[in-house]
Amino acid sequence: MKSESKFDPKIIEEMIKFSKHVMDAPKLVSAPDEISLEITPHDVVQEIDKTRLLHYKPLTDKQHKTPLLISYALINRYHILDIQPEKSWVRNLLMQGFDVYMLDWGSPTSMDKYLDFDDYVNGYLDSSVELIKDVSSVEKISLQGYCTGATIATAYAALHPESVKNYIATAPVIDGWRDTTVISNLAKHMDVDKMVETIGNMPPEFMYYCFSVLKPFEQGIEKYVNFFKNIENKKFVDNFLRVEKWLGDTPPIPGALFKQWIKDIYQDNLLIQNKMFVGGSHINLKKINMPIFTQVAVGDHLVSPECSMPLHYAVGSEDKTLKIYPTGHVGMIASSLSQNKVLPELGNWLAERS
Amino acid sequence: MESESQKEVTDYYKHLSLFWTDILHLMSSKPQALTSLGPMRAFASNSKKISTELIQINENLMEFNKYVTEYYKQLAETWNEAQKKVNLKAPDVPHDIEQIESFKRIWIDIFDNDFTELFDSEKFGVNYGKLVSKELELTKNWHNISNVILQAANLPSKEEIDEVYKEIHALKKRVTKLEIELKKKKPNNIEVTKNEK
Repeated sequence: MKSESKFDPKIIEEMIKFSKHVMDAPKLVSAPDEISLEITPHDVVQEIDKTRLLHYKPLTDKQHKTPLLISYALINRYHILDIQPEKSWVRNLLMQGFDVYMLDWGSPTSMDKYLDFDDYVNGYLDSSVELIKDVSSVEKISLQGYCTGATIATAYAALHPESVKNYIATAPVIDGWRDTTVISNLAKHMDVDKMVETIGNMPPEFMYYCFSVLKPFEQGIEKYVNFFKNIENKKFVDNFLRVEKWLGDTPPIPGALFKQWIKDIYQDNLLIQNKMFVGGSHINLKKINMPIFTQVAVGDHLVSPECSMPLHYAVGSEDKTLKIYPTGHVGMIASSLSQNKVLPELGNWLAERS
Repeated sequence: MESESQKEVTDYYKHLSLFWTDILHLMSSKPQALTSLGPMRAFASNSKKISTELIQINENLMEFNKYVTEYYKQLAETWNEAQKKVNLKAPDVPHDIEQIESFKRIWIDIFDNDFTELFDSEKFGVNYGKLVSKELELTKNWHNISNVILQAANLPSKEEIDEVYKEIHALKKRVTKLEIELKKKKPNNIEVTKNEK
């Protein structure tokens, strides 16, 4: 009886309110599939196999001379860098007067299971760089790599330094042995030869599993409770659904590329030791001699700072900057912090060198 | 000892199955030869592969169950430990909204920490690796059974399709290299043509 008298009736009120929000949700909110991402206008300037090179239309009268090519990650799609106008990485750079290109890796099918690092680095990425150089009449371009896209971009910058004027590494996957995330632990115990031989490409369902074990209760329960609690907050809901849609859209990773990535980065850690080979060419990080800007997030639970930061110390560049931000993996590229701090700092650094 | 006797039983049934499928195949091969172009002949001659694979599947399933049991055991143990920690930290039943919120925060923080610790541990990584490996072996068994059916229908097997993919990939690489070389040589060609003129 005593405990009953302490019970706050507001709890029942809150529960009824929450149930009402759950019931009202379908009336108030579009399904993720119905949401069309307001992607910044662009032209597709090159298509090779499943990949597309996007060139964004300028948003300023004057532009910096050196174009910027973004090499997005292999997991999920490039949309996160252009998730919505007020949080768009791409749009912000365009507003700062940069000429921006993006390499969309597309969705590999079973036929692409033999695509490897060489195809991505010396094939797709190199073809894009060469085309941009031709179109812009420049000898070098600026290159940005994000997450696993930065692993590819790092290999490219080491093999083709003559084509890269500035290199921006955003949460790069570099030192697998120092990585403290759950993904790294799973990767270390994976029989990747058997996996690729049996199933070919790395299926999206497996990637979902790997993500679901990261902060399982925060991401699996709390996030959805908050979604229903805020169902009447249009801005919150819109942002939530856009990110969810992005999270649910991950293409498979070509088998041969995945195999080399797991072995060379997470299991044998060859890249940081300057022992990795791509297409028969040796990757020596000391050959990265152009100005380099490394961006790391303290709360990154996908690529830990310990995995990214060694790049800053391993390169041969004299002009190098390391920035550490109080946010997470996605927060660094698609949040108000990225718009108000990360991008202005990057823009200033890049403008001085473009 | 148990596993050894289990293995003996499996081997016995494997042998028994192979013996009878082989004998039946030899005994019936002559009348079957009359229909050598149809699917039944190819299916009959390869059907022993199906029984071998089914026995193998049984073995792999037993191993798979072992690792999947360990997987759920680890999850259950971690859950129990995390719940004990929550009970120690928040022993009272929450009575108002604020208390519910702080209880939820404590619960999520403790559970996230404990489960992340588990997923990051050597024992989880090793068991999970073996679990995935067994799943892949089961997939391989399934491929092998499918290949028998595909062969009977005179369709290419997975390995044959893989060979085509590999060949296409190698050809694409060669074409790209040739294109690059051609592009490099182009200015020289123009100069040569000019000089010739």
